[in-house]
Amino acid sequence: MRVSGRLHSRTVPAIVIGTLGMTSAMLTPPELVWLMAAVAKGDQAAFERLYAATRTKLYGVVLRILRRSDLADEVIQETYLKIWHNAGSFDPKVATPITWMVAIARNRALDLIRKKTEASIEDEPAAMEAAGEEPNPLARREMTEDLRRLLGCLGQLEEDRRRMVLLAYYSGWSREQLAVKFEAPANTIKTWLRRSLLEIRECLGS
Amino acid sequence: MTMDEDREGLAAEYVLGTLDAGERAQADALLTTDAEFAAVVRQWERRLGELNVMVAPIEPPAPVWDKIVASIAAAGPAGPMRLPDVAAPAAVPAEQGPSAEIIDLTQRMRRWRGLTVMTGALAASVVAIVIAREYRPDVLPADWRPKPQMVERVVEKPVEVVREVVREVPAARPAQFVAVFQKDEQSPAFVMSVDIEKRIVTVRQVAAERFADKSYELWIATAPGVAPRSLGVLGNDDFTVRATLVAYDPAVINNATFGISEEPLGGSPTGQPTGRVIHAKLLQVTPAQNP
Repeated sequence: MRVSGRLHSRTVPAIVIGTLGMTSAMLTPPELVWLMAAVAKGDQAAFERLYAATRTKLYGVVLRILRRSDLADEVIQETYLKIWHNAGSFDPKVATPITWMVAIARNRALDLIRKKTEASIEDEPAAMEAAGEEPNPLARREMTEDLRRLLGCLGQLEEDRRRMVLLAYYSGWSREQLAVKFEAPANTIKTWLRRSLLEIRECLGS
Repeated sequence: MTMDEDREGLAAEYVLGTLDAGERAQADALLTTDAEFAAVVRQWERRLGELNVMVAPIEPPAPVWDKIVASIAAAGPAGPMRLPDVAAPAAVPAEQGPSAEIIDLTQRMRRWRGLTVMTGALAASVVAIVIAREYRPDVLPADWRPKPQMVERVVEKPVEVVREVVREVPAARPAQFVAVFQKDEQSPAFVMSVDIEKRIVTVRQVAAERFADKSYELWIATAPGVAPRSLGVLGNDDFTVRATLVAYDPAVINNATFGISEEPLGGSPTGQPTGRVIHAKLLQVTPAQNP
């Protein structure tokens, strides 16, 4: 019964490392990698700290896509369960802990929203507009080098193409939703998206 | 990168999030069966994942953590799942372990993939189910999962008696049959699996549209020209499990044609399919195994 004991007694998540004087709970990537390794071994304390360090980011990501807190709660629960069970398959050579966790969370959110919106895309045009497009720009010093390069490549895309990619990534828009907004057939949107993505790949040189 | 542009595009759009439900199901199947595709998806997750930095953090409600803890505790003492160990030789008799069957299916799938894109995708989804059954039982409905047995053993050691609880996966298993109801060339609308021994049908709704004002109904036609008989109305969940095949002989089930029709809410008013019907036949994906 390794799981039940400690986790049942709910404790206030305590962040010990690297957060002195910071308002954000986010740990540095090496600290997260260390936590992931501990979680993979079944360390519940590490899992609790991983949750404390990443929950606001993952919740922000899925709420932006789902725009309903009940669905976001559900997706976040499933996401952390999957993280707990699959931490052993995390490979620091191909992902950072946060990109790995974000991918799990987005996948769950997208699965849900694709099933739901297929029948009712036009239900909430107002909500679609209200979602806005790009999150607020960050101070340059907060950007990682990888993000700076990615944004540089996105900047080379034509403006509409860039907006499509960002709306899809951040807000989970489908081709059909993009087709309405950009007044083009869904198939054309598909071609544009794929071309843009390949251009990004070339630009990043990976 | 040797992958063709179509599949690279599928991987990229999967990560971006713009695939529809059917295409996502197809990509999920490929992820389970095609290591190269999975690697390309991981690369895209890494590339685009950096964008998360710009998303404003939002505090989730406090009960979320309690629920996570509760479900982990409910999952039992197994701890984190070590996927590749599920078919560990210690618990499974060595002669005919499930891994041989999976390799065989994977090879068969590769051969199929050569035929056309469509059969390739189909085979992938079928194989994904079989592989998922072995390695990822948590993604399947309860009835498709191999049932672990808790066995208590007394192990004698020189100085002490140790009680061990060992998780055993039974080797005996009936043949598995699957039918895929295609929505179009690209995506399966429903995937049905049949436990021919217990005559239990499980239907998973994949890319089929969900209607608020219609029901889907499952039918069996035992021979060409014979009027189809209802096997029941499908539920609203992703998975519907029915024991409605009990009256049918396995040989009949095996040769029957199955259909899923769109009906008014609650099912056909006439006892015969009234709306659009998609048909499928059973395909054996794993042979019966005896211990």
